Amino acid sequence: MDRFSVFAPRLVEKAENFTSGHRACQGCAEALAVRLVMKALGRDTIVAMATGCMEIVSSPLPTTAWMVPWIHVAFENASAVVSGCEAGMKALMRKGKVPEKKITFVAMGGDGATADIGMGQISGVMERGHDMIYICYDNEAYMNTGIQRSSSTPYGASTTTSPAGKYSIGQHTQKKNLPQIAVAHNIPYVATACPSFPFDLMQKVKKASSIQGPAYIHILSVCPTGWRIPIDESIRYGRLAVDTGVFPLYEVVDGSYKMTYKPYRLRPVNDYLKGQGRFRHLTDKETGVIQDRVTKEYEGLLKRCEGR
Amino acid sequence: MKDKVLMKGTDALAEAAIQAGCRCYFGYPITPQNELPEYMARRMAEVGGVFLQGESEIASINMVLGAAASGVRAMTSSSSPGISLKQEGISFLAAMELPALIVNIMRGGPGLGKIAPNQGDYYQATRGGGHGDYRTPVFAPASIQELYDITMYAFDVADIYRTPVMILGDGMMGQIVEPTICRKRQKIDLPPKDYILDGARKRPSRIIRSLILDTLEMEEHNWKLKRKYDLMRGKLPQHEEFMMADAKLIIVAYGTAARIAKGAVKRARREGLAVGLLRPITLWPFPTQAIQEIAKKVKHFLVFEMSTGQMIDDVLLALGGKAECEFYGRPGGVVPTPMEITRIVGRYWVQKEILG
Repeated sequence: MDRFSVFAPRLVEKAENFTSGHRACQGCAEALAVRLVMKALGRDTIVAMATGCMEIVSSPLPTTAWMVPWIHVAFENASAVVSGCEAGMKALMRKGKVPEKKITFVAMGGDGATADIGMGQISGVMERGHDMIYICYDNEAYMNTGIQRSSSTPYGASTTTSPAGKYSIGQHTQKKNLPQIAVAHNIPYVATACPSFPFDLMQKVKKASSIQGPAYIHILSVCPTGWRIPIDESIRYGRLAVDTGVFPLYEVVDGSYKMTYKPYRLRPVNDYLKGQGRFRHLTDKETGVIQDRVTKEYEGLLKRCEGR
Repeated sequence: MKDKVLMKGTDALAEAAIQAGCRCYFGYPITPQNELPEYMARRMAEVGGVFLQGESEIASINMVLGAAASGVRAMTSSSSPGISLKQEGISFLAAMELPALIVNIMRGGPGLGKIAPNQGDYYQATRGGGHGDYRTPVFAPASIQELYDITMYAFDVADIYRTPVMILGDGMMGQIVEPTICRKRQKIDLPPKDYILDGARKRPSRIIRSLILDTLEMEEHNWKLKRKYDLMRGKLPQHEEFMMADAKLIIVAYGTAARIAKGAVKRARREGLAVGLLRPITLWPFPTQAIQEIAKKVKHFLVFEMSTGQMIDDVLLALGGKAECEFYGRPGGVVPTPMEITRIVGRYWVQKEILG
């Protein structure tokens, strides 16, 4: 956000690499995130995508929304397949069969594919140090199969497999902190982003693509269907997530933290929670617990950003 | 009539499992079986059981393994690509002789395929599926009531023979809604669970394992499993016969395909064609003997599957060349109408000049 003074829309590429006509739900912030990411990456990109909402909505045979080489693979495999693509292109370039040029290799997956089933392989690709970007579109549940909980579902959220009711408050475990897992791999670039902050998101994607080695970008993608919010509110809820400190925007370059957008003062978490159907059952006491945790984590992050 | 409730396939299966005493369900989302874990998530809380969503199919099947080793009735469910991931666990369950129920609500394949109903997993289900020399009993119900009853029975089979058992439905079986009577479980005498790991208090310790490095011991283990499978081959096979008394042509079909074939048989009868239906309820052990008996009288068979032809192998093996057998299949998630099958039957009838 440090270059926000420039009138940025003029700098944004006009070409759409993730085109319209796909079947995403109304108000899908994930589709917006993919569109922005693809704008930032440009055409010299190879994408491997795990099964999920974006794969289903963008590629019903024989149509496709993708203007770049794009391969869809089973749920857990996007990162492994993109390592294969990267190795394959490296070999072809070395043999002179493909002209040498900078190609960005991108693996994409939802939070289920990233935090749950694909975790091992993502760890593998980061450890091997492939020159690729892994982008996680986090809508905080398995939305594609009908809103089942994932390990990225926040505490207290009601989903179909963590229903709130007499016996349960819904999801009773805390959200898995994926960016921190990526940071622990000592990879050159880790960032969090949200399509409600489009220029920040695109800048991070460009940075990730310019850096040699594995990069990880975690994008909070508001899902009106699964979060049970009105379809015209997804951008606002993305902003609220950031402004309340639930989802801080930061980047970690070679281990040093930087807050890329710092709200002047954090809004109470309740502003973010109260309108969402999935948190409707929460009492003041429970939102208090969530508030405490968010404050604690946010302060911890601030400390790391100040290098303490 | 009063006891009948309208139930969706996946819900009926889940309810039957709970009635059968299943108190551990481990799952992972995959269409078209999501309603099953969703139902379990609600119901298990009510009956004091455990519902856990694993981080992958591999995790869930191994959670089942753990639960079975501790002596609880446990189950998991998935659909075709997920079942492929579970195969390692199923092989381990078979090797360790642990009872479990695995539900496969088949969808189109190979690869990620599609989410429409399909019967392409017949080989995988009936030939063991995972690595090594093992088989799993496979049930293929064709109505929601049968799905309900067989689920309860499958848990008993698993406990009696100490084996993983599979229920092979398809997207259609999982999603249709039919009136069902929710029967209570009938207690039967089950062998004591003298293998479970529940803490070796005042008894020698027990070991559940599948790694047997001694070749002779491993051979004996394989033969032991084989004897068990032979026992099942003798006792388990079930099939349904429909309008077979005077039939000159028998359609062999299972699951959803059998429902369609039943409609086709009724239509063909109206046209005056003496057609019958044989529906295997157990796919492994296959009702070989029943088919052999019928082949003494009937010389024409038509296998109908929603795949490119897998069960036909078992029918051909059973027939052993004693009767003519043709195949008709619609893979890829296409669900044909009874009319279409009637047309195929009519064509076959004319081609073979069945009445001479």
